[in-house]
Formats: sequence, structure tokens, C-alpha cells
Amino acid sequence: MKLLRRILGALVIAGTVAGGIRLKGTGGVPPQRGGWRPLELPDER
Amino acid sequence: MTTVHVVGRGIVGVRLHRLLSGRRPVMVHEGRWHDITGTSPGDVVVLAHGGDVADRVRQLVARGLHVVTVGDSPTDALDLLHDPPEHLGTSLVLGAAMSPGLSGLIARHLANQLATVDEIHVAIHGTAGPACARVHHRSLSGLSPGYRDGDWIDFVGGSGRELCWFPEPIGAKDCYRARISSPYVLQHAFGDVSRISARRSARRRDRFTAWLPMLRAPHPEGGVGGLRVEVRGADERGARQVAIAGIAELVGTAAAATAAAFVTGVLDGLVHEGLVVAGDAELPTVELLSRVEAVGVRLQEFTGIPQP
Repeated sequence: MKLLRRILGALVIAGTVAGGIRLKGTGGVPPQRGGWRPLELPDER
Repeated sequence: MTTVHVVGRGIVGVRLHRLLSGRRPVMVHEGRWHDITGTSPGDVVVLAHGGDVADRVRQLVARGLHVVTVGDSPTDALDLLHDPPEHLGTSLVLGAAMSPGLSGLIARHLANQLATVDEIHVAIHGTAGPACARVHHRSLSGLSPGYRDGDWIDFVGGSGRELCWFPEPIGAKDCYRARISSPYVLQHAFGDVSRISARRSARRRDRFTAWLPMLRAPHPEGGVGGLRVEVRGADERGARQVAIAGIAELVGTAAAATAAAFVTGVLDGLVHEGLVVAGDAELPTVELLSRVEAVGVRLQEFTGIPQP
């Protein structure tokens, strides 16, 4: 019974911490600039 | 007049025929085309079918024919790179598809912008026809070659996940090591480079079922595929530089365009005799890339993300 209570307690604490991180954390802003552009080949033919 | 023989009537073979016909005689042959008595020395044979082709290549080269291979067989690549066939003044282009092929041309173009090159990393996404899809499926279960500091390392296929950014509309894809021939071919062309790797995109299901036979028949053609070539090195001042370029295109179209560029290059005398791999310093890389672009494959370069 004591072991069960400890396991449940650990799960509750882990869930609370994970929930807090999930709600508070932001993933940051994805890059808004940069990317791909057409490759210009030199005219050396 | 020189005839171009395209062997294989798959996606790449049919598209290559369309690109080459009109200006010169082009014949398309079914299957593996065993009766080659109708060829004349100097004709060009494009092997655009699946499976191993090394013995076939030796037979064709010994007959005085130019040969262009489109497949992606590591066994063939090792065999022909280590023991190239004796030729009669003709060219053997080993790997003239999207990768190997276009990847080598792009790598050489990027390498020419740097003073020194240390690393080349290739990533591919998508497949052409059913034969290509089967190769893709099998490649994730075999040992995949990687080159590090002068040694070849066999990595487990499907390992080494890396998020690779391809030109739009593909975007980011998880890519994994796979049994593909590009590292062997690139190492032949870039003998001084210390690290070479090749990865291909795969889904969780692809990796999970790689050791099984294909559970259902592959699609007639994959969707838009992609190629991403990353070259790392240094400029004249010794500062580290990374150059990245690629394409987003149907894999069969990109492969056919690359094969067509090499075939016309052979016919125009731009390609040297003997064993030729895309990325060779002797090749007119810009001219070949221009020919690839001329048939509608848009080359793109990564501009980088500005740091704050």
C-alpha cells in the first residue's frame, strides 16, 4: 500500500511538472527569413 | 548516324526517349535487350532498367559502345570503380540519374566555389517508377556505406536520422542512412574529401517493414521528389563555409534530364573516354547542369537563415 502511494505520488508530481512545462513553454518562433532561391549558373560555356 | 539505345521502358526510359528523340535516332528496347547485334561501334546505350548491370556494361563496352547507366546498385558501383572495363575509345558513364548523377554535378559545382572541401552530404527524397521504389525499400535494410577519414564504414540501414530541408514544396524530411551507391561514386570523383554520406527520406512504416518483402505493389510513379547536396569546406582565408543546393522535381524527370545531359554530352564530345562519374573535375559541369536545367529541372540553392 505504501509502495502504491509512492508510485501514485510520483506520477502526480511528474504529471504536474510536465503539464507546467507544456503550458508555459513556447517552441520559439520558426525562421521567418532565408530559404531557397534559383541557382544561377556562371556563363562560362 | 549514331543511334541512342535506351534499354528499359520504365518511367526514366520513356522520359529519356521523349527528351532525345527528334534530333537523332533513338530506339527503346524492352526488358534487358539481350540481342545487341544491331548496334554499331560508337552508338550510345543507356541502361535504364533495374537490377545489376556490371556484366552487361563490360559486354557493351567491349563492343565499342558508349554506355550510360542510370541504376543505383552499390555492387555495380564497387565492381566498375575498382575494375573498370577496357574500352575502345568510348565513355562509360557510371550513374547518370538523380543520385548518383545530378548529385555529383551539383557537388562539383558547389565545390568549385570553395578553396577546400572536407565533407559532402547527399539526401534524396522520393522514387521514380516501381523498380526505383523496390530499390528504395530494400536499401533501408542493408548496410549503408559512409566514408570517414579514409575508411569506409558500414552503418545499419535506417539509422542516423537527420532532418534535412529540401526545396519547397517538400520542406523538411527525416532522412536515414541507406544502401545506395552515391558515396562510392562521389568518393571516386572527390578523392580528397574526408567525409561522405548519403541519406534518403523514409517514413516509420518504411523503416519498420524494410526487412520484409514489399507488402503491396509500388505506385506507378512517386510524387515530387527532392535532392539536397551539402558541401562543407573552407574559403581562401580558411573560414568555414557550407554550400547547399538541390532540386524539387519528379525523380523520374530529374533522372531522365541528367541521363539526357550525359548522352548529349557524349555525342557532342564533351565527356572524356573511359570511366566517367558525375562530379569528375574533368567534366564540363556547368554545361551539363545547364542541359539539365534546359529541360525544365530547376536547380536551387539554400540561402541560409540569417542569424540575429
